[in-house]
Amino acid sequence: MDAEIAAVLARARQGDSEAFRALVERHSRTAFRLAYRMTGNEHDAEDVVQDSFLKAYRQLGRFESRAHFGTWLHRIVANCSVDLLRARRSRQDYNRVDDLDAVAEQPPADAPGPERLARSAEIDRFVASALSGLSPLERAAFTLRHYEGRSIAEISQTLGLNTSAAKHSVFRAVKKLRAALAPIRGES
Amino acid sequence: MKHYSEEDLILHFYGEDAGRRRREISQHVDECASCADVYRELAGTLQLLEAPEAPERGEQYGLEVWQRIRARLPEPEAPWWVRWLKWDRLAVAGAVAMLVVVAFITGLSWSNPGNPSPASPPAVASTIASDGRQRILLTSVTEHLDRSERILTDIMNAPDGGDISTEQRRAEDLVSTSRLYRQEAVEAGEQSVASVLEDLERNLLEVIHSPSKVTAADLDDVRQRIDAASLLFKVRVLGDELRQRELSAPPAAPHARTVTSQVS
Repeated sequence: MDAEIAAVLARARQGDSEAFRALVERHSRTAFRLAYRMTGNEHDAEDVVQDSFLKAYRQLGRFESRAHFGTWLHRIVANCSVDLLRARRSRQDYNRVDDLDAVAEQPPADAPGPERLARSAEIDRFVASALSGLSPLERAAFTLRHYEGRSIAEISQTLGLNTSAAKHSVFRAVKKLRAALAPIRGES
Repeated sequence: MKHYSEEDLILHFYGEDAGRRRREISQHVDECASCADVYRELAGTLQLLEAPEAPERGEQYGLEVWQRIRARLPEPEAPWWVRWLKWDRLAVAGAVAMLVVVAFITGLSWSNPGNPSPASPPAVASTIASDGRQRILLTSVTEHLDRSERILTDIMNAPDGGDISTEQRRAEDLVSTSRLYRQEAVEAGEQSVASVLEDLERNLLEVIHSPSKVTAADLDDVRQRIDAASLLFKVRVLGDELRQRELSAPPAAPHARTVTSQVS
């Protein structure tokens, strides 16, 4: 199996687009899942997947055959997501405080218990709004740490940051999320 | 009793601490009520954040993605060693061409200072000088953008309330260089390069003029300006574009040979 993948990769690196097609078919769903977690938006995730494969194709010459293609693609998807979040952020006039206030002001349904509350759409909306209040790098670092289970060292490698910067991105993200989610945890 | 910071507890939650330190923190959280409260609240919040469930994509999804991108596949980059060779050859050819031009012009003014220069050779020399200058400008600006991107990334990730005096010193160096490159870019008709450099200078000046011990609010302000101008994005895109142009620039060797024969 490994030899087969290596052969496909070698052909793709020589510009064989059909070999690249095999890689696209194999890795698209994983790429989409990561892009969706990073961007929180289906349409944006689709754009990120396509951009990532186009970028990967252009840069196949830089890919070291000893490395794992999936790992390399993961890094490209993460960085394309950060670029998209930055572009999106500059396009839109984000008013995070208003977003959060609007969600916080909605009265809770009929005082559901914690388990039900944790799974409710209201919580999901609140969380989505809190996540959109993070900067692109904070969101990327948090997604990789919290949802993808990547270590700080892996995050710094993926996002091209030094370890301290990666760590502080996660810290800032967690602090902001704690503050934003305090109302639904019954804190002041 | 020594209490642990929120950062320590975040790392502890994610299992980023190891060995003895991890045991120490676990033991402390067991014994210290205030740290236990903070940790419980932190863990409770983080446990609320379940991974968003991505919409399902079927078995055919890979094929759909392929259909969407196949017509847009770009030209693959050459392997790194080919790029290196090409860049290296270009750099050497450019440097030789520049040396020949300088020698040529110096020779003319040295041997015949009273007479105006003949028309043809200086015209060729001027074209070569202009090509070489453009190429040198592209290479220098690309490096400058890489350095700027590193500073901006460091600023975006600097800890709140931290000391950014090192970044400010690096930014100061970059601002003066940036001005020179911007003027060069304007003279060379590279308006888009000049425009990004202008944005960059403005933001670097903001960094320089911030207090070196920044408050969270100051830092947030600077970050929001950088974000609002999409500066990191522009710097990255322009850097990539200039690298592409460097790669696709025609080699200067044939001009160099022509001039060499004229000089000899």
